[in-house]
Amino acid sequence: MYVPLTALNEGEAGVVVDIQGGPNARAKLVAMGIAPGVTVKVIKGRGPGPMIIAVGSSRIAIGWGIARKIIVRRV
Amino acid sequence: MLKTIALVGNPNVGKTTIFNTLTGLRQHVGNWPGVTVEKKEGIFKYRDKEFLVVDLPGIYSMTAHSVDELIARNFILEGNADVIVDIVDSTCLMRNLFLTMELFEMGAKNVIIVLNKFDLIKKKGVEIDIKEMQKVLGVPVVPTNAKSGEGLEELKRLIVMMAEGKITTNPVIPKYDEDIEREIEHVSQVLKGTPLAEKYPIRWLAIKLLQRDEEVIKLVLKYLGQSKMDEILKHIGELEQKYKRSLDIVMASQKYDFLEELLRRFVRHPAEIRETLSDQLDKLLTHPVYGLISMVIVFYILFQFVFTLGGPLQEWLDSAFSWLGEAIAPHIANETLRGLIVDGIIGGVGAVLSFFPLVFLLFVGMSILEDTGYMARIAAMMERFLRVFNLPGKAIIPMVLAFGCNVPAIMATRTLENERDRILTMLVNPLVPCVARMVVITFLAGTFFPGKAALVAISIYAIAIALALLSALILGKFFIKGEESPFVIELPEYSIPSWKTVIIHSWERSKEFLRKAATVILLGSIAIWYLSSYPQSVGTGLSYAERLGRAFEPIARLMGLDWKAAVSLIFGIIAKENVIATYSVIYGVSEESLAGAMVHAMTPLQAYVLALVTTLYLPCIATLAAIRAEGGIKWMVVAAVYNLTLATVVGILAYAIGSVI
Repeated sequence: MYVPLTALNEGEAGVVVDIQGGPNARAKLVAMGIAPGVTVKVIKGRGPGPMIIAVGSSRIAIGWGIARKIIVRRV
Repeated sequence: MLKTIALVGNPNVGKTTIFNTLTGLRQHVGNWPGVTVEKKEGIFKYRDKEFLVVDLPGIYSMTAHSVDELIARNFILEGNADVIVDIVDSTCLMRNLFLTMELFEMGAKNVIIVLNKFDLIKKKGVEIDIKEMQKVLGVPVVPTNAKSGEGLEELKRLIVMMAEGKITTNPVIPKYDEDIEREIEHVSQVLKGTPLAEKYPIRWLAIKLLQRDEEVIKLVLKYLGQSKMDEILKHIGELEQKYKRSLDIVMASQKYDFLEELLRRFVRHPAEIRETLSDQLDKLLTHPVYGLISMVIVFYILFQFVFTLGGPLQEWLDSAFSWLGEAIAPHIANETLRGLIVDGIIGGVGAVLSFFPLVFLLFVGMSILEDTGYMARIAAMMERFLRVFNLPGKAIIPMVLAFGCNVPAIMATRTLENERDRILTMLVNPLVPCVARMVVITFLAGTFFPGKAALVAISIYAIAIALALLSALILGKFFIKGEESPFVIELPEYSIPSWKTVIIHSWERSKEFLRKAATVILLGSIAIWYLSSYPQSVGTGLSYAERLGRAFEPIARLMGLDWKAAVSLIFGIIAKENVIATYSVIYGVSEESLAGAMVHAMTPLQAYVLALVTTLYLPCIATLAAIRAEGGIKWMVVAAVYNLTLATVVGILAYAIGSVI
């Protein structure tokens, strides 16, 4: 099932399928390791403050606005 | 000509530490021509040989969506580097090597890969086979731990060997699937024979066209013309239809797949992402409430550290300068020369220079917070709130520093990646009241509003901060355009800062302050000394300064103030504390008995307006000089005009409203 990254709960992981949004945002995400095929895990989800996700061993804080544009497949 | 060594890498990989190790104190910071991105250069000595080391901005990719990326990309493409040292964080190989793949794709062959933080990867139980990695990637690989210095000797040796052409490389180049490779081949054929092909690697141009890179499209258009370009774009469009998504995403994904295949050959993972203690800490520190509380505590400690240690030093320097002036004065017979040297140069420059310990310590504190990884957490936490006002989360750092002194605050705007964010932050920064203005505010509040002083002082701070945020909102919306950068920040691993890096970094940055004191501030001080001493000294009513004050009197009147306030404000431009000091000169009383004299000459409302205007009008010359250095003359003028206008309008309004109440 394909859902936006924001739909994942804390502790859940997903494989990135697509990234929507402008070329600028896309390029930045891809370069930071968030590309189709990559598994990401939600460290901090819903609630106040930015989302925090794990990509490999690095941690990335990401705004809800762009997180909504990252489409993932639940694993 | 010195051979050039370029350092490339993601942010937070330890590039600065390696740069410092190579160059030591033989380095300097400037700006890349035409833009306000920090340019760090230094000399690397090895035995009897010398090389120029250029630290390129830390970037995640070479897509050229930001100035930083464009600088790094053009530097490499133009073949400016004899050796490229690509610094890779071994704890995050996949993403870091993505940049390496782009480097190879750009045709760079003279690359040495530095696997930094190698000690950390071992702790995580990951094994990297260096020999195999060299074979797979086709370039030399050196594992290092920049902080302890491990592996750096080997790196130096390799750099020199490569610079002398004693190493041959054969970098691996990412491969895409059949359809894309066919299209790359097709576009390459079209480009073949054009002058572009001589200047840039054809494959790279073709790949960038497929990714619809705006810079490259513009470039190619010039040589191919619209019709051929349209044909290429039509092909790309067809491919995108087939994949049902844009090619940049498809290619990035394939590049990661390709990279994963490579990594499998030399990395053994225990992998499995586990939540760690630092994740728990991150949740707390980026929380809008707990994060804010911890930030207030951290900055409180920072300011305590700066002022407990720096305060006495500042006072000591201040009295050292007065002593110097007094000691020199009797030895200069010529009265004009004596005035120039003692009052103009030593008095003026000394007043500003005495702030150096504070500036330096503020930078030390900031470097520590940055190197521990804490700054990134603050930026993440503040992003949402500050975005409302068109400012990025990271702008909180200069804004908070500004409470201490606007000069290091303006200099700290360098850490903002986006040009628009940086200019905006720089323009609204001087509105945050610094310590010098605190002196004026507390003096006036204490003198005119006994019992309510704190409340009055807080109201002025609140107005100033509200105006700073409001200015950002309005300027960002209507005047300073540019693309907002999307909010994605890496939270680097927490680590203990290296003292060497902290000290070198702080010194490098605060050195700029000294340089300014020797140039712009010196000239400014001399000018103001001249205005106040000719044709007769201040207090006689005949000096140019006083005449200037009278010239501005009509405006001052609108704010309920008189010419004396205008003169004080003119002197306040050297350093804002002068606003009070000037009054004591005009009234001819000591600063101790000034309060009594002023209470008789002014109403509380006038005092309030004076404190407010002092806070908002032209920043001091040191701050103006900092804006000029970071953003150029244009933005310095904009800042000056903006602040002056704002202060006048607010001053008039405050007086009008106050008179009614």
